[in-house]
Amino acid sequence: MSSLFSAQKNASETALQFIEEYYEEGGQSAISPFLRPESRYWGAQLTLKAAFIAAVMLFIAFGFSFFVQMKPLANFLLVLVYFLAGIPSLIEAVEDLLDGEINIDILMTLAAFSSIFIGSGMEGALLLVLFSLSGAMEDAVTSKAKGAISALHKLSPTKACVVQSDGSLIDRAIKEVPVGTLILVKAGQIVPLDGRVIEGTSSVNLVHLTGENMPVTKTLGDTVPAGGRNLEGALKLEVTHTSSDSTISRIIELVTQAQEARPKLQRWFDKVSQSYATTIIVLTILFALSFPIVFSMPLFGVEGSIYRSLAFLIAASPCALIIAIPIAYLSAISACARKGILLKGGITLDALSSCKAVAFDKTGTLTKGELKCIGIEKLNSSGSESVDEALAIAYAMEKNAHHPIATAVTSYAASRNVASVSVGEFKSIPGYGLEGVVQLQQSKKNVYIGRPNYIADKLPVVERSFLLQRIREIEDQGELLAVLLIDKSPYIFRFRDTPRFKIAETLRAVQKRGWRTIMLTGDHEASARLIANEVGITEYHSDLSPEDKLRFVSEIAQKTGLAMIGDGVNDAPALARSTVGICMGKVGSTAAIDAADAVLLQDNIELLDWLIDRAEMTSRVVKQNLFLAVSAILCASLPALAGYVPLWLAVVMHEGGTVLVGLNALRLLKK
Amino acid sequence: MSDNQSAHFKGKDAIGHVAEAQAHGIISAAEVHGIETPGYLSAGCDAGRETAIFLPFLWLLMTFLHIPAADIVSSLAIFSLGWLFWKLGRSAWLGWFRLERLNRVLEEERWEIEHHRQQERDELGVLYATKGFEGKLLEDVLDVLMADNSRLLKVMVEEELGLSLASSEHPLKQGMGAAMGVFLSALVCLAAFFVWPAYGIFFGSFISISISSYLMARFAGNEVIPAIIWNLGLAILSFGCVYFLLDWMSVLARNV
Repeated sequence: MSSLFSAQKNASETALQFIEEYYEEGGQSAISPFLRPESRYWGAQLTLKAAFIAAVMLFIAFGFSFFVQMKPLANFLLVLVYFLAGIPSLIEAVEDLLDGEINIDILMTLAAFSSIFIGSGMEGALLLVLFSLSGAMEDAVTSKAKGAISALHKLSPTKACVVQSDGSLIDRAIKEVPVGTLILVKAGQIVPLDGRVIEGTSSVNLVHLTGENMPVTKTLGDTVPAGGRNLEGALKLEVTHTSSDSTISRIIELVTQAQEARPKLQRWFDKVSQSYATTIIVLTILFALSFPIVFSMPLFGVEGSIYRSLAFLIAASPCALIIAIPIAYLSAISACARKGILLKGGITLDALSSCKAVAFDKTGTLTKGELKCIGIEKLNSSGSESVDEALAIAYAMEKNAHHPIATAVTSYAASRNVASVSVGEFKSIPGYGLEGVVQLQQSKKNVYIGRPNYIADKLPVVERSFLLQRIREIEDQGELLAVLLIDKSPYIFRFRDTPRFKIAETLRAVQKRGWRTIMLTGDHEASARLIANEVGITEYHSDLSPEDKLRFVSEIAQKTGLAMIGDGVNDAPALARSTVGICMGKVGSTAAIDAADAVLLQDNIELLDWLIDRAEMTSRVVKQNLFLAVSAILCASLPALAGYVPLWLAVVMHEGGTVLVGLNALRLLKK
Repeated sequence: MSDNQSAHFKGKDAIGHVAEAQAHGIISAAEVHGIETPGYLSAGCDAGRETAIFLPFLWLLMTFLHIPAADIVSSLAIFSLGWLFWKLGRSAWLGWFRLERLNRVLEEERWEIEHHRQQERDELGVLYATKGFEGKLLEDVLDVLMADNSRLLKVMVEEELGLSLASSEHPLKQGMGAAMGVFLSALVCLAAFFVWPAYGIFFGSFISISISSYLMARFAGNEVIPAIIWNLGLAILSFGCVYFLLDWMSVLARNV
């Protein structure tokens, strides 16, 4: 019975997971929640599979076409190619036509299907195969873009634990929780809605929102944004914004707007292709109808105007033009992938080559985003313990905690081979620090470690002011700190985020290109100044909210073109809005990775200069390819129309252009 | 009843709306091949039976047209291949047709959940009240279910519309089942014809029809023997009809 119940529960959970996946992927019928689990893989990348099978069929048909007795089989295979690659194009073309839209897709489909009537089915099939392959690639990129929003949605829980008037708790959908409702956020949970703390104290990690991996203490009266993770104690919050108005919702809105505002170049291509397609179709019809009148030629037959017009249509079909750009980008994308740089579409490279400035987030991008203990300072001479003894005590306490500072202290102790001591009566004070009792020199001593203010309150007035002054001095240098108190003796532990490997050299190389380098951070001024000086950046802006970053990025992107490199969710809108968004792959949040155009898979920011170089080279090759493709089209279509070039030669010239642009693009594969 | 509620329930009370929605769901879930045994098996058996009828018909036609036996084999094999593509595509298409309809029903229900939450709560209340929930327990159940939109959608699709999630075959798998049915049936018919050119194709056809009828009856939980004999009887009736009418036509032609 229990196994039956367990099987039913599993089936129910599976169905639930399928529903969520279905909507996250934008409702693709290939992964309909009605499909059996084992059936779902049948529909995976169907467009790509069909295009690939069509390509193989075409290749075999091409081979068969050289043998007279195999011609019928070649034709049979061509029918299969037209079915697999042609039907989807035909459906799209008819739908576009019914919507009153004439674009390059219609031209391609018309050219491909018309070619059958003048005995050039093979060329038409080639067009369709190339067309469907590029369509499958476009689908893959589009689904990636959709992932950005779904990753952000995942950050925010869908339900909140509401405290009812009788004190009982009940889960409610966040959409149904009005402002003023009391909600409970337990330790380890994500904050579901923006709220103000009315009970409890805890550390809240906002790393997924701000990129800063340093938990913030939230206590009575503090506001807590949705999307933060509550680390320690329970927090009772009064909801201050509805779900549609919460911090995470605003970020989702910003990302959506930024993504929609981005593809200017794409829109230009669409516009041009629409005009091109319309012109060619109109010219084809015009030539077919006017040639019999103007040149007294027949309408039908091999020397007829319809035949010539169709030859013109096929020769002018932008086969080389269509592959001129993607093949160059594909080659460059492959070269980048081998270097550990993932590009979401070739247009990223084109956009990068147009930039003249690069902006960096600080923590996690210019720096490793990991705190490193750089030393311990004994504040007065009253304490009898050595620095190593203080470190042993701190180690003993912090090894029980989950906090970036705790990790830094334990690593520091390990690097200095300091052994832990025994701590009794250990207690964690959520949001403030830790306390306990240690046995030192035959006497028991109370020990505390944590935030400076928490420790300062335990000191007499004079020592307190002395400690606070020293804290200010250290913070002004951009460092972080924690204080250990052994009875009445304070020890300051200093921490610093470390710059990434070869970052200064990389920035110098980028600056040599005449690029402007800027640091944009949500961190405070002192910390920003410290890192900027270390890595050699003169222009930096600190204390920025996601909206501020977006404003800076928008302005610079509009003026000179801007590449933005970041990692946190707060960077996601800026990454999407910048000319090119580049995200750190290892430390980056899912939302930032999805919103970016390029991902440095191994956080290999030192490759930035190489990437810019490759982008500029790609841009040159694309221009050369466009020139070659346009030349091939002109040289094939106009003489074909005039009747100077026979159809077979027109096709050879047309295909020759395609091969040329392909070979030119292959140069970009070189590492 | 508010205007909003009235529009949602279309003039009915909650239980009436639920009954109508369930009927809608059952119609949407109806298997396009006419029975509820879903997917590749149903499609394969169905396609196999049709092939076993289609090939002897062609054989009869070609025999009456005095086409040489050697040409008949290759022609039947070629026709079978064309037929296989048709059945594969057709069966997959029907599967997609059904899936598209189910996905639309799912989307409609999701829209209802997003836009008519109170009415959906009322419907859920009625559904769970009929299961014996009442008072605070019923309210708590409704609160829990309403808290999670994905779970609510699943509950409404399964309990209100009577649909089953994660239970359909992929259309392509169904199409491949149909293709396999055609292939095996054609193989049996042509092999029998090769062994016994005079009437082997009928023998092969009867074997194919018997096997596919047996499988369908077995999986549907129906009686096997009547299913096989009824199907064979229907096949003989069809063959007899074509054979004797063609014979009559040739007699008439000779006399003229």
